[in-house]
Amino acid sequence: MATSVRSVLLRGLDVLPVDVEVDIATGQPGFFMVGLAGGSVREARERVRSAVRNSALPWPPQRARMTVNLAPAEARKDSGGLDLAIAVAICLDQAGAAAPPEAAFLGELSLDGAVRHVDGVLVAARGLARRGVRRLFVPAGDAAEAALVADLEVVACHTLQEVTGHLLEGLPMPSFTGGVADVAEAVAVDDLAEVHGQAAARRALEIAAAGGHHLLMTGPPGSGKTMLARCLPGILPPLTRDEAIDLAQVGSVLGELEPGRPLSARRPFRAPHHTISMAGLVGGGSGLARPGEVSRAHHGILFLDELAEFDPGSLQALRQPLEEGRVSITRSGGSVTYPARFMLVGATNPCPCGWEGDPVKACRCTPAAVDAYQRALSGPLLDRIDLQVRVSRAPLEALSEEPTGEGSSVVRERVAAARGRQLQRQGHLNAALTRAELRRLTGIRPEARRALERWSSARGLTARGFQRAWRVARTVADLQASDEIFEAHVLEALGYRVADAAAA
Amino acid sequence: MPRPPEPEDLRARGRWPPPPGRRVAIVGSRRPSPYGEAVAERLAADLAATGVIVVSGLALGVDAAAHEGALAAGGCTIAVLGTGVDIVYPRANADLAARILAAGGALVSQFPDGTPPQRANFPRRNWAIAALSDVVVVVEAAEGSGALITAEAALALDREVMAVPGSVFSPLSVGCHQLLRDGAGLVQNARDVLAALGAQQEVLDDPLKPPASLGLEAPAGGRDGLLQHLSDALMTEPGTLARKLGLPLPEIMSRLTALEMAGAVGRRGAGYVRLAPGGISRAGVG
Repeated sequence: MATSVRSVLLRGLDVLPVDVEVDIATGQPGFFMVGLAGGSVREARERVRSAVRNSALPWPPQRARMTVNLAPAEARKDSGGLDLAIAVAICLDQAGAAAPPEAAFLGELSLDGAVRHVDGVLVAARGLARRGVRRLFVPAGDAAEAALVADLEVVACHTLQEVTGHLLEGLPMPSFTGGVADVAEAVAVDDLAEVHGQAAARRALEIAAAGGHHLLMTGPPGSGKTMLARCLPGILPPLTRDEAIDLAQVGSVLGELEPGRPLSARRPFRAPHHTISMAGLVGGGSGLARPGEVSRAHHGILFLDELAEFDPGSLQALRQPLEEGRVSITRSGGSVTYPARFMLVGATNPCPCGWEGDPVKACRCTPAAVDAYQRALSGPLLDRIDLQVRVSRAPLEALSEEPTGEGSSVVRERVAAARGRQLQRQGHLNAALTRAELRRLTGIRPEARRALERWSSARGLTARGFQRAWRVARTVADLQASDEIFEAHVLEALGYRVADAAAA
Repeated sequence: MPRPPEPEDLRARGRWPPPPGRRVAIVGSRRPSPYGEAVAERLAADLAATGVIVVSGLALGVDAAAHEGALAAGGCTIAVLGTGVDIVYPRANADLAARILAAGGALVSQFPDGTPPQRANFPRRNWAIAALSDVVVVVEAAEGSGALITAEAALALDREVMAVPGSVFSPLSVGCHQLLRDGAGLVQNARDVLAALGAQQEVLDDPLKPPASLGLEAPAGGRDGLLQHLSDALMTEPGTLARKLGLPLPEIMSRLTALEMAGAVGRRGAGYVRLAPGGISRAGVG
């Protein structure tokens, strides 16, 4: 008699249910594993054998021929997470017991029979629940992750012995009642109250936060671009529960969630160094691609300091996530899609030496070098950044004074109100307004439209650039709780379109 | 000290040797402030109008403004190149070079035809500029600027060196102020240069009067005088304007854009500068 137990493999944020079948028969003795088992699954034979024996559970006799089949056979399997299912199937088969209905097992085994952590339990639990699994056995440390999924009974497993005792002898094994984990409180570290001066940059930050617009800051070294960017999470509303779960799925796949507290309301802020590889930035790796920084920044901020120093190919690869809010990567093991809806905040020097436009220190670059530097940034990427602002160094005397600007909490309230207006009007933020929505929903006054058209024709704007300026103007109006876009809103918005001005 | 080239050593396109007359070199930063650009253009125009031949280096910024000014006044101007005469560098000035030739001016070079732009050649070119001129006027030069090499060459060749003062806050004034401290002649307007050339009668009319021709009249003030708070040499940040005028930043931003669209202000770095009225300066005008 063959026994079949259900487990699962991750395919990005999707899952592939796997049936682990065990047959113990007579014939040439041995322990065979079939079904495209990769390295870590072939090694499962050794882990499972030791774990079963060390748990004082019966192991098939020496003369038996045992075959473990992992179905579907055509999919390559490379995960230690199948260990528990294999061991359970072997034990059930020997006892002649049937597998529990609508249940699945996930976990790696140690040689002494303990059930170990596996990555991606949240994703696995979500996928299995959608496919009709009602009871999921997971490593105890990962139970809080799985418990985030509704309509799923989660059983926290410490040892293999405990699991077989429950299945074969009916010993009680309570379902996980750690309850639905709370969303951890967001604590903003950097506060706008600490920023000196930079009135225009602060305002640009507020507009970017309110409309979900991408932002580019250009300025000399030491002008506080990084500090300004770090303030952004603090002026954004905390993650909603759904957003936090979306983000936790990425963390789950990467095994980066805090044990026992998988959810955080904190907006992610990712600041990869410019030497990062393309795989590190957008995702990649061998076999099946793993999520990159763009997905870690989902629902948060991707801060790219020294934007011009990034590999041009990597920046090109940002186009898909910037447009679609997700990234698809194909590797030998198949194609996966990860979410990547982030606010891009770029920072760059204005020229190779950094001092172009500084009122005190002279720039030593040739005009051609400045042009080349700024051109490296232009093109498709810059075309997708709604707001561009120049920042300058605060004068030294200002640094010794107390900063006088508003704190993050004041700004956050205005941002939240403006976001609320947008969600009520169109169900998403202004940054994602389509052309049809702009025409239909944004209530632009005739004189405001004329100002936009005047600017656009003087600067030779593309249709895309025209719409970007329009979207920013809509956000400026939303910050003032205005249903209509007035001329002043358009004019202010155009003040944050540095690239257009340079094109004049 | 490099041997300064004689006119007959030079390869030329256009009218060469040049018509008789005094020659004044106007040189300076490749990235001047609107003030510097306006001064260079106006000075060149006023000098050219009196028959002076304006010499410069066809570089971006002050050089180009000087050539433009001379052409605007219908004058003759000579561009001394750091490349072969058959190559125009930078490419952005190809049109200007063509207009110089069309107006009876010349492009000249001490380098063989086909010489590409090379870093080492430009200082040598600066010596040639000095050698070809009776007076060298420096308009905006930061410390270490190539224009200072021209001034040095002029001293070595016993030519008169003059400089236009600038804002003490601006890094672009450092070189000129250094020259003035070391004894260079002060240039406020074309009359000062003509005086140095020996045209005495020109300075008899009120030399102390602020030179209206330089576009330094008080501008027509906008509402609340937003424009008065803007300088044409140094950028002012929107935040500073908001503080000085006691107005909210969003209002300042939208009014600056309105002025920008009208061509009255331009962006420099993180701030804005006033542009010379009447569109003398081409920099940053929409």
